[in-house]
Amino acid sequence: MDSLTSLTISLAPAINLSDEQFFQLCQHNRDLRLERNTQGDITIMAPEGSETGIRSAIITTDLNIWNRRTKLGYVFGSSAGFTLPNGSNRSPDAAWVRRERWDSLTPEERSRFAPLCPDFVVELMSPGDNLANLQAKMQEYQDNGARLGWLLDPLARRVEIYRPGQPKEVLDNPLTILGEEVLPDFVLSLGEIW
Amino acid sequence: MNSLTISLAPAINLSDEQFFQLCQHNRDLRFERNTQGDIIIMAPTGSETSWRNSNLNAELVIWNRRTKLGIVFDSSGGFKLANGSNRSPDAAWVRRERWDSLTPEERSRFAPLCPDFVVELMSPGDNLANLQAKMQEYQDNGARLGWLLDPLARRVEIYRPGQPKEVLDNPLTILGEEVLPDFVLSLGEIW
Repeated sequence: MDSLTSLTISLAPAINLSDEQFFQLCQHNRDLRLERNTQGDITIMAPEGSETGIRSAIITTDLNIWNRRTKLGYVFGSSAGFTLPNGSNRSPDAAWVRRERWDSLTPEERSRFAPLCPDFVVELMSPGDNLANLQAKMQEYQDNGARLGWLLDPLARRVEIYRPGQPKEVLDNPLTILGEEVLPDFVLSLGEIW
Repeated sequence: MNSLTISLAPAINLSDEQFFQLCQHNRDLRFERNTQGDIIIMAPTGSETSWRNSNLNAELVIWNRRTKLGIVFDSSGGFKLANGSNRSPDAAWVRRERWDSLTPEERSRFAPLCPDFVVELMSPGDNLANLQAKMQEYQDNGARLGWLLDPLARRVEIYRPGQPKEVLDNPLTILGEEVLPDFVLSLGEIW
């Protein structure tokens, strides 16, 4: 198992976990990072490497600085889980949700895995990650309502930008990427990330 | 890591049937379950552990064919112990009368008994204390003889009911004693 960065366990059809059971499973296994696909299969992901941790901290910091200034929404770190409209449970490496959408949730919904897809999601590729799996995840975010998605591959210095209803855009070794209309005036400088 | 433990209780309580189906739907993973209901997912063994395991199984099968005293199980066999845990020793043997007393249904799932004889083979990266706890659990649940083999250290621990374990350093052979009469494992095949 040490050569794998994730492990998927098929539960269906023998076992169907309710949303509450999946949430409790995550709470009782705080040192594991769990996701769940639409078939109910559970994926256990290895803790991210330290370098990936640095990169995701930089991104959430820059997002927070922008967000404190604009007060447009909420920033989430990689430990936050969301229940997407298609029923899967996902934890992007960084995410942002527009304030009105978050405020429309009940306190109960906010305290569990919020039943929405973030407006903006980031996935950071780590050594050993499977690119096709991450691309499928980015597509899933778009299909479930994300308005902007970034897939960052620091080793290849490559960025994929996902926008609704458009083919993804691929940038090789960009210096900056822009938040566009989803995160107005947000600019991520990639010098610190690469 | 060689194993990963997932705590299910108290949120999720799998029935024996659900645990069996979980194993059937994930044939490339090796599952065990402790008395708290935690699931332990074990990595496939390394190739060296696998050939040691198959040599060990072969010796047991050859002896058992001659004596016809019981049934030999390889490392994929799962058992439901009396304390409620599900375990898969690397090799195991059950006395014929005990096996024959199970229903066909019980034999086709994880047999509800502790084998009379169990072997655990230590792999690089295995945690010795975890394996020792497992050996103790087998004894506590009715195993009459247990061997914990550490090929790298050439060390054998022998577990017998109601006795402290015996530790042998670099033995040439180990004996099946009264549990496996006349069985002799030559460790040249294993080390």
